[in-house]
Amino acid sequence: MTAPMNHEFDAIVVGSGITGGWAAKELAEAGFKVLMIERGRNIEHQSGYDREMKAPWDMPFRGEGDPDLFARDYPVQQLNRHFTEFTQDHFVCDRENPYVTGDDTRFTWFRSYQLGGRSLTWGRQAYRWSDYDFGANKRDGHGTDWPIRYADLAPWYDHVETFIGVSGAAEGLAQLPDGQFQPPMPLNAVEVDLREKIRAKWPERVLTIGRTANLTQAKPEEGRAHCQYRSICARGCSFGAYFSTQSSTLPAAMKTGRLTVLTDKVVEKVDYDPATQRVTGVRWIDTKTRQRGMATARMVFLNAGAFNSVHVLLNSASEAMPNGLANSSGVLGTHIMDHANTMGALAVMPGFETHTSFGNRPTGIIIPRFRNMDRLDGIGHTRGFSFQGGALQSGWTRGKRQAGIGEGFKDEMRQVGPWRMVLVTFAECMPRASNRLTLDHTRVDANGLPVLKIDFAFGKEELAAVAEAKACATEMLTHAGGKVLFGSDTPGPGGTSIHEMGGARMGHDPATSVLNAHSQAHGIANLFVTDGAQMSSSACQNPSLTYMALTARAAAYATQQVKAGAI
Amino acid sequence: MSAADTQANQPAASRRGFIGGAALFALAIGVPAAAVRLSDLHDEDAPTPALRAMLREVSQLVIPRSATPGAGDIGVGDFLVFALAHGMEGTRAPVANPAPGLPLRADGSLRHAAWLASELDRRAGGNWLAAPAPRRAETLAALDREAYPEGPPPAVPSPWRAIKGLILTGYYTSEVGGSQELRYELVPGRYDADIPLTPDYRAWSSDWTAVDFG
Repeated sequence: MTAPMNHEFDAIVVGSGITGGWAAKELAEAGFKVLMIERGRNIEHQSGYDREMKAPWDMPFRGEGDPDLFARDYPVQQLNRHFTEFTQDHFVCDRENPYVTGDDTRFTWFRSYQLGGRSLTWGRQAYRWSDYDFGANKRDGHGTDWPIRYADLAPWYDHVETFIGVSGAAEGLAQLPDGQFQPPMPLNAVEVDLREKIRAKWPERVLTIGRTANLTQAKPEEGRAHCQYRSICARGCSFGAYFSTQSSTLPAAMKTGRLTVLTDKVVEKVDYDPATQRVTGVRWIDTKTRQRGMATARMVFLNAGAFNSVHVLLNSASEAMPNGLANSSGVLGTHIMDHANTMGALAVMPGFETHTSFGNRPTGIIIPRFRNMDRLDGIGHTRGFSFQGGALQSGWTRGKRQAGIGEGFKDEMRQVGPWRMVLVTFAECMPRASNRLTLDHTRVDANGLPVLKIDFAFGKEELAAVAEAKACATEMLTHAGGKVLFGSDTPGPGGTSIHEMGGARMGHDPATSVLNAHSQAHGIANLFVTDGAQMSSSACQNPSLTYMALTARAAAYATQQVKAGAI
Repeated sequence: MSAADTQANQPAASRRGFIGGAALFALAIGVPAAAVRLSDLHDEDAPTPALRAMLREVSQLVIPRSATPGAGDIGVGDFLVFALAHGMEGTRAPVANPAPGLPLRADGSLRHAAWLASELDRRAGGNWLAAPAPRRAETLAALDREAYPEGPPPAVPSPWRAIKGLILTGYYTSEVGGSQELRYELVPGRYDADIPLTPDYRAWSSDWTAVDFG
C-alpha cells in the first residue's frame, strides 16, 4: 500500500490484528483520520488466501509440510495446532524474528506478522469474563485490583458480539455471562450424553457448546456468509464466516474513507513530548527497505499484540522516561501471564457406534470454571480452571498406531473410527512480577531492534489447578462411561495457550500500574494500550473478546476526551 | 545447501542422473517439478530400480487393490522415496545408539528404505522381492505385528512404524485414497450433529480434526 503524502493523522493504530482492527474501525467511524501500521505483509481478503481451497494432493508435502523448512524457519510456530503446509504463510518465520528466554524459561511465542495479524489464525473462542475474574486480584491479593468490573464492560461486550457474530448457547452462568449470541452450533451425540451425565452428578459443572466467532447466520450487509463447516479457518476464509480483521473490522473502517493502512512497517518508537506530557506520533522502519519513516497524530493506540506493545513502550525510552514510555511505575513488562494448558483427559467413549456427524464443526465445547467461585474450594489454588475440547471420531491416521496390513486393514481404515472425548485444561495464571519482558540490547533483529527477552514460569497455584483439573476431567469422563487413555497434570510451556497477556497492566494506582480504567496510560492522556498487554489478571477462559470490548470502550472514551478538549 | 551448491559439488554424470531422478519422482507423486527441491534428494536417497520395486510392492501389500487402486498402483512407493529423503514422519532424526551394520546417512539418520530391504531379505532368507507372493505377504505381516506389541509403544520403535505411517499418508492424502477410497468434501456447507452410522458409511479424509488427532 502506498504511503500517504501527509503524515499527520488524528489517530495512529499500531497493529492490525484483533484489537488493531477494532481500534481503527471505532476511531474512523467516530470521524477521526486514522493511520493503521502493520509490521507484516498485506493479505487481501479472499484473493490473498492462497492455499485455502487446496487439497492435500495439490501440496508438495501433502499438507504436512517440509520438515527441513519447518525445522529451519518455524521451530516454534510448527508447534501451533493450526500450523500446517496450508497455513505456514500465516505465521512468522522464527529465524527472522528471534526472541530470547531466561535460563529457566520455556516459552513458545506464536506469532502472525501480517495484515490481520492473529485474527487470521486465532481459535475464535469468544467468552465474556465475569466479576469472579475482574474481582480475583482483590479477593486473594495477587497482582493489583482491576479498576473495572463486569458492569463497566457489559455494554461493550454487547457491541462487539453483535458486530463480529458469536454463536453460542445461553446458560445463565454467573462465571461465563451470556451474550448477544447467534444460534449455537449443536453438540454431537457423545457431547449431549456427557453434558447430561455430568449435570446429573455435578450440577455446577456445565458442558456447553463453544461460543465461537463463526457465523451461524449470514451477515449479508457486511458481505459475510454463514459458516461452511470446513474447519480450516486458519487458511483464511473467503466466505468471511469467521471474525477476522479482513472479514469484519477492516472493511468497516475502510468504508469511512478515513483509514490509511501501511504494511511492512515495524514501529520502533512512540515519540513523547515532556513539555506537553503527550505522545506526538510514531517512528517506523520499513522491513523491506530498512528506510525510516514517521507520522504524527493527536493520539496513539498500541495494538501490536501484548508482548510487542510492551516492546514498543520499552524501546520508546527517552531522556524524560529512561525506563520506557509510560513506565514511571517501573512495572512495565512485568506480570505477564498465559493460561496453564495441558490435556486434562482423553477417553474412548463406547456406546455410540451407530452415531456419526456430517461436516466439520469449527468449535468444540467448554466446561467453564466451577471452582473458587462463591467459596474457596480449589485444592491448593484460589482461581479457576476450565476445560475445552470435544468428542470426535478417529480418522485414517489411527492406522499409524496399530498393526495391520492388507485388505482387512484397508477396509477398517475405510470406516469411521471410534469416538473419543478430549478435555483440555486451561488454568488461570497468576500475575507475578518475576514473569516479565525486558529488552536484550546485546542482540538485535534484522531491523536493528533489540530482541525481546521473556522470563516466565508457572508457580504452585497453576500446578495445583492443573492437577485438580486432571482429576476432575478423569472422574467426569469415567462417570460417563469413558475409558480414559491419558491425562496430564503438567502444563505445556508458557505460550501454549496463545493467551499471552499483561505487561502494561491496568490499575487504580499510577505507582503500581501502567494504564488506568480506560486503557489510557497514567499521565499520558493521548496514549492507549488496548490489546492483551493491559490485562491485570488472566481468568481461565479465552481473552480475545475482552480485548475487543476494552478496545471499543477505550475508543469511545478517547472520542469523548477529544470532544471535551482533554486530548 | 542450495541446489546450486549441490550441483557444484557433484560430477556431471551423477548430477544428470540426480536431476532425472527428481523429475521422475515429481511425475510420480503428481507434484510440479518446480516444487520439488532438488537439493534435498541427495545421491544416497536416490533409489535403485530394485529398491523402488520393493517399496512399491510393500505399499501395495499394506493397502492392496480393491474396488479402488492400491497404494503401489498410485505411486506411493515413489512417494516414500520423496518423503524419506525429506524426513517426513521424523525419519531424518539421528539414530541414538545405532546397532552395528545399520544403514545410516552421513547425518546419522537411518536410510529407512535400505533398512527395510535388508530386513525383509533377512526374514525371507534371500531376495524378498523374488519370493512367492504369499511369502512376501507373510514376512511383511510378521514385521508389522512385531512393530506394534501389546501395551505402551516401545521406547525404541521399529523403523517400520514410520514407513507404514508414510504409506498411509501417501495413500490417503492422494486423490485416489482421499476422494475415492475415502470421501473428501472441502465445503460441507452444513453440520449435522447426529446421523446414523451404517456399515457402508465411508470415512472422510477431509475431517481435519480426525486427521490431526488420529
